[in-house]
Amino acid sequence: MNAEAAVFWVFAALTVGSAAVVVLARSLIYNAFALLFTFFGVAGLYVLLGADFLAATQLLIYVGGILVLLLFGVMLTHKLYDLDLRAEVAQFAPGLIIAGPGVFGLLVITILKTRWATGPGRPPAPTTAEIGRLFMGPYLLPFEAASILLLVALIGAAMIVRRRKDA
Amino acid sequence: MITLQHYLLVSAALFSLGLLGVLTRRNAVNILMGIELILNSANVNLVAFSRYGTGNLQGQLFAIFVIVIAAAEVAVALAIVLTLYRLRRTPNVDEADLLRG
Amino acid sequence: MNELLDSLRRFHPEIALTAGLLLVVLVDATGVKARDLLCRTLSAATFVVALVLCVPLYEAGWSGELFGGMLALDPMSVFFKVILIAASLLVALAFGSSREMLGLGQGEFHALLLAVTLSNLLMASANDVAMLYLALEMVSITSYVMVAYMKGDRLSNEASLKYVLFGAVSTGAMLYGLSLLYGMTGTTSLQGIREALAGGFPEENRFAVYLVTFLVFAGFGFKTAAVPFHFWCPDVYEGAPTPVTAFLSVAPKAAGFAVMLRFFFRGLSTSGPGAWDLESTINWPMVLMLISAATMTVGNVAALTQTNMKRLLAYSSIAHAGYIMMGVVALSENGARSMLVYLAAYLFMNLGAFLVVTLVHFYDGSFDLRDYAGLSRRAPGLTLAMAIFLLSLMGIPPLVGFMGKLYVFAAIVEKGQTYYWYAVVAALNAAVAAYYYARVLRTMVMDPELEEKPPLRLSLADSSWVFFFAMANVLPLLWWARVDGWARSSLTLFAGR
Repeated sequence: MNAEAAVFWVFAALTVGSAAVVVLARSLIYNAFALLFTFFGVAGLYVLLGADFLAATQLLIYVGGILVLLLFGVMLTHKLYDLDLRAEVAQFAPGLIIAGPGVFGLLVITILKTRWATGPGRPPAPTTAEIGRLFMGPYLLPFEAASILLLVALIGAAMIVRRRKDA
Repeated sequence: MITLQHYLLVSAALFSLGLLGVLTRRNAVNILMGIELILNSANVNLVAFSRYGTGNLQGQLFAIFVIVIAAAEVAVALAIVLTLYRLRRTPNVDEADLLRG
Repeated sequence: MNELLDSLRRFHPEIALTAGLLLVVLVDATGVKARDLLCRTLSAATFVVALVLCVPLYEAGWSGELFGGMLALDPMSVFFKVILIAASLLVALAFGSSREMLGLGQGEFHALLLAVTLSNLLMASANDVAMLYLALEMVSITSYVMVAYMKGDRLSNEASLKYVLFGAVSTGAMLYGLSLLYGMTGTTSLQGIREALAGGFPEENRFAVYLVTFLVFAGFGFKTAAVPFHFWCPDVYEGAPTPVTAFLSVAPKAAGFAVMLRFFFRGLSTSGPGAWDLESTINWPMVLMLISAATMTVGNVAALTQTNMKRLLAYSSIAHAGYIMMGVVALSENGARSMLVYLAAYLFMNLGAFLVVTLVHFYDGSFDLRDYAGLSRRAPGLTLAMAIFLLSLMGIPPLVGFMGKLYVFAAIVEKGQTYYWYAVVAALNAAVAAYYYARVLRTMVMDPELEEKPPLRLSLADSSWVFFFAMANVLPLLWWARVDGWARSSLTLFAGR
């Protein structure tokens, strides 16, 4: 097994293992920290796939932003002294059957069966410059649209949570 | 040799786990975590196809936008969950049952 | 650079909306006393300007791609732009008297309305899968916030939570499907996808294509509230402030149909003269027929027992989405045209009905159908208008709703015998629907009141708007050739890609 394969298996195991903890563990803190490791694992996979800019973005935004936000969410929706942050689970069996053999099986079959559009591929190389060029070129419109989205999300989230002092 | 299918299977696992989380969890924040797993799984797909496919960066760019969208979505969703908690003192979705169906 | 300038030159409505959005945000941030009124005026003005700017786009009749293939511009997308902006303009102006919105700042509402309109326009013109997903999420996220507007209200909060969670899962599934599509075709542009699939795809891929279509339809079905992705609809419609509900029932739904049309026809089909065949082996028409039939039926049957007006109209709009889908099923030029006509009609009848519900709530404080008893005595004009809206929704001639139904039925029937059972199902559905629309009417006119209530006096502004919507349902018949001609020309260049 060469180095690439070894690294892949490490990150794959980290990602999928942590994801399982996110979904199955009972304590909200375990869920949140497992999610941290999942995001790290995914970032590692990105690096293996040659997406260096994306890996950095993943860490910055997913771990540094979204995960922190989720942690705040966890903390603020329980009473401070309720250290035993238990997450309750609804009916487990039907969900397990649907997601397990159902969806996962379906996906595995599809993935293995389909002939994907393989081509020359893209050997790992720095992508940042190319991405920057694309943002200023064909992807200019989505780039600007995304900024509007962020503005609206900012206004919206702040508006929902803010307590108004006037009537 | 690591092939495309390896990555796709990892993402399929992530998707299924995320779906499992969405279906079985009561706490809204847990459901959000499930949703993040689903979004990440799609992103892994996109990047993997970018690498092994025709070699264009469209997949990676799409993935960047997905990350941005996920951030915005989580911000809004958590604002709503926080308000739920303020009004009802519970983060569990099935206790939010004023609206039937 | 040149291409960018060219694109910008054809992007005026969206630019106007963006400018309006930024202005409203700034004005609202200044904190001046009159800012609510100012924001409302600004947003209405922006919508009017955007609408006016659509006219040169339509006259030019230009067809092509903008911004490096991200957006497609053709007469059909201009038609959708007009409908979407008109919906926002009407909601901004006519729904001012809403008891639910009293005491809440209006500035953010109008900023959100402008943002969602911009997003709707982008969604209806999206030509690239990445842009499509981005625009769709923009619409969704803005809608989540709009539904949560009454932040102190438990129902509003619960509704927005259900909306967010359901929506995020549906669009997440859609995203996964889109990623697989990218994997199969190697490109994210709809044009490229069509080229890759047009040559036929290898047998092994068939399963993946089914899966992709199902997943992608999860996102579209969510936006248009089609079965089985409609579960969020009644709760969200009930919990959201009624102006928001009215808006949601029309605009994002129309944008959802636009993108569905574009995706399935531009991305997944080959064009033939006058008819589109979807990719070979899969019997898409049958699948869509089943979904559409299910949607109509679920919507109509569930509406039969509703006593909350908002929920009733929610199920009614689910049913109408089923009828609109008939146009997609027909898979022909006539089919697409019938969708456009139906959507235009639907805009005016649905907004009209919701306006009446909002006003009754404003004066009486109730959404319950039983409290509508005796309304004919207390507000005869309003009852008459509501009658017009209900009859239009039922599809009674000579109202505009009838024209919509006529077009979709005609498009289906001309497809031949295999489609007849479907037309029959649709007709039965329309008959069933008539029952609950008539029930509302009967309650207003004939049921005795439990207690004497004073006559309902509408303000001049409110009465004018009710009158406007009523006329919008009645008058188009007089100029029908014009409307038909407009819908026809909106389609001519789309088929030519």
